[in-house]
Amino acid sequence: MSESGYILAGFFLVSLLMGVVVGLVHSKLLARSITILYVVIHISFTGYCWLHLGETVLDYFTFDPLGVLLLTILSILTITTVYHGFIYVKDAKPRIYAIYHAALIALVASMSGAYLANGMTTVWIFVEATTLSVAALIYHDRTPLALEATWKYVFVCSIGISLAYLGILFLGFTVHDARLLHLSFDSVTEIAKMANPLYLKIAFVFVLVGYSTKMGLFPMHTVTVDAHTVAPPPISAFISTTLMNVGFLAIFRIYALFSATSILPFMNHVLILSGVLSLLVSAGYMLKAKHNKRMLAYSSLENMGIVAIAIGIGGIGYYAAILHIVLHSFTKAGLFYQIGQSYKVMGTYKLDESGNYMALYPAGATALLLGFLCITAIPPSGMFISELYLMKAMIHSQNYLLLAVTGLLLCFVLYALLTRVLHIVYSQPREKPLHELQKVNPWQSISQYFLFGLVIFICFVQPMPFRHLIESIINALPK
Amino acid sequence: MNVLLVIVFAITLIYLSMTERFPIYAGLIAFQGVLLFALSFLELHAITLSTLIFVAIETLVFKVIVVPFLLFRIIDKIGEARVHDKALPGFYSLLFVTVGLLLSIVISFSLDTKPATMIYFIVAFFAVYTGMFMIISHKKIFSHLVGFLVIENSVLLLSLAIGSEMPMLINIGILLDIFVSVLILGIFVMKLKQYANELTLLKDD
Repeated sequence: MSESGYILAGFFLVSLLMGVVVGLVHSKLLARSITILYVVIHISFTGYCWLHLGETVLDYFTFDPLGVLLLTILSILTITTVYHGFIYVKDAKPRIYAIYHAALIALVASMSGAYLANGMTTVWIFVEATTLSVAALIYHDRTPLALEATWKYVFVCSIGISLAYLGILFLGFTVHDARLLHLSFDSVTEIAKMANPLYLKIAFVFVLVGYSTKMGLFPMHTVTVDAHTVAPPPISAFISTTLMNVGFLAIFRIYALFSATSILPFMNHVLILSGVLSLLVSAGYMLKAKHNKRMLAYSSLENMGIVAIAIGIGGIGYYAAILHIVLHSFTKAGLFYQIGQSYKVMGTYKLDESGNYMALYPAGATALLLGFLCITAIPPSGMFISELYLMKAMIHSQNYLLLAVTGLLLCFVLYALLTRVLHIVYSQPREKPLHELQKVNPWQSISQYFLFGLVIFICFVQPMPFRHLIESIINALPK
Repeated sequence: MNVLLVIVFAITLIYLSMTERFPIYAGLIAFQGVLLFALSFLELHAITLSTLIFVAIETLVFKVIVVPFLLFRIIDKIGEARVHDKALPGFYSLLFVTVGLLLSIVISFSLDTKPATMIYFIVAFFAVYTGMFMIISHKKIFSHLVGFLVIENSVLLLSLAIGSEMPMLINIGILLDIFVSVLILGIFVMKLKQYANELTLLKDD
């Protein structure tokens, strides 16, 4: 076994050990210390992956640019999520506190495995593992609502994952031997070129529908929306960003695998259709959203729709899709942390009971406004650049009708978000909140400023290594 | 022999979609487990000891014993043995699944595959359709669960059609899937009963 093999195996072993120790020993201090240590280990592991970019490890894993880029986002968001998690669960009983952190460690480890997996079956196994670990986190509050959301999430994700597995099995038919299924993506690409296109089309549709449960795309978006509503805000931040990225990665890998075959136009049409329907559904629901977290959940659906359309358009759209995934991760995580704080300050997630946030907590309200600018792609948001590239790709490919429809739906989304965020920040609440109002230390919003700052920075400067990394991800795709 | 078993599997699917009593659902799921074990045993020519153990655990232990046992326990706990009164009547269900069967046949024929594999394709597609149909057309969680288990069985059926040897990774995958289904059955359904047998709490307004 190579040095990288030992490091990778060591990482998963340490994750397992730490998760088990935290879960079994119900001590808050121990859970806290081990979780901090785990964050440090994860960052170091990500650094190691950067140093060995492009290396294939133990046959089943690869440190390829897309995997390492998403792993880096995960490392950054793990720091902020753990920080906000400490605040959120500080009053929980030691057992609940321990389960929360054990499940968090398991979730981070399984997402890391999914990013670095070098074969469809390996990705699938880690995606299944993310479902199990995130279920414990969604159920954290142990209310009837949490139970229902957890049930729906596990149930629909399991159906989705089963469908994705059927897609992988179809891939097995194209290669005529199931033993080849665990081969690397590169090996399967060569075989796919000679396969019956109908098999590939069926495999792609199954995988797309199946992993849509993770990416939060139409038609399997409902579960993630429900999960967001009840999960602790730091976990909602994870579900909406790094976990959606897992779904994106699984779909993108299959897309890249089949992009050299004759089914490329078919895949593009399916992705555009799924993307437009996601935008349509999100715009419709955001206009009637009365729950602040649900509103953000539908915004995630909208952004995943944009990513699907960008891939479907191709050309510069590929670059736009990857850039959008990165920037959406930082923006949406920041917004969820902020909405979590707003619950403490205003005592509610309900829109009618929300209001006057600027007077109650100026640091948080300013962060919320900044997050609103970022998510709606208004300059100086970096997402303006990714959406501009998307529009450019549409014009370049002469998809004017799609451009008009996307533009119109984005206007609805902008209107829905604008009216709701301004109501939260400046208006008086329409109804009195049921819960007690709490004070929040302004320093607790620092992570949101940092994340939104990163997104704004990208609007002005895209560092060359970052550009090259994205270009190396999309290099193998058709021009 | 294999073809006969697959046809019997298809008949259980038609029966599942028409019946309205929960104990029959549980019994049919157990019977499908027996059929899958027999099919695995006949289909895997170059069977090794490890594969045999895996297949036996996946089918006989889980699908024939553990899952039906949990289903019967749930029936006892919820104290209801029939689907919702307003569920689609059996005759209409039969019409819908017949359309599904025809669709599965058309898709499988257009795949231009070997005749021996064709029957697996038809029944696997039909099982996915039936599972989805049960989830969509029924209101109660129990029926949803049975629909999910039918989809799980279609995955195993299709994996048998691929080749004479199943790689360990596929075995692990299927085992993990079964683990999730047992988790869903064992933990969530028992707890969900405390609140509702229909999921209605989470809404958009």
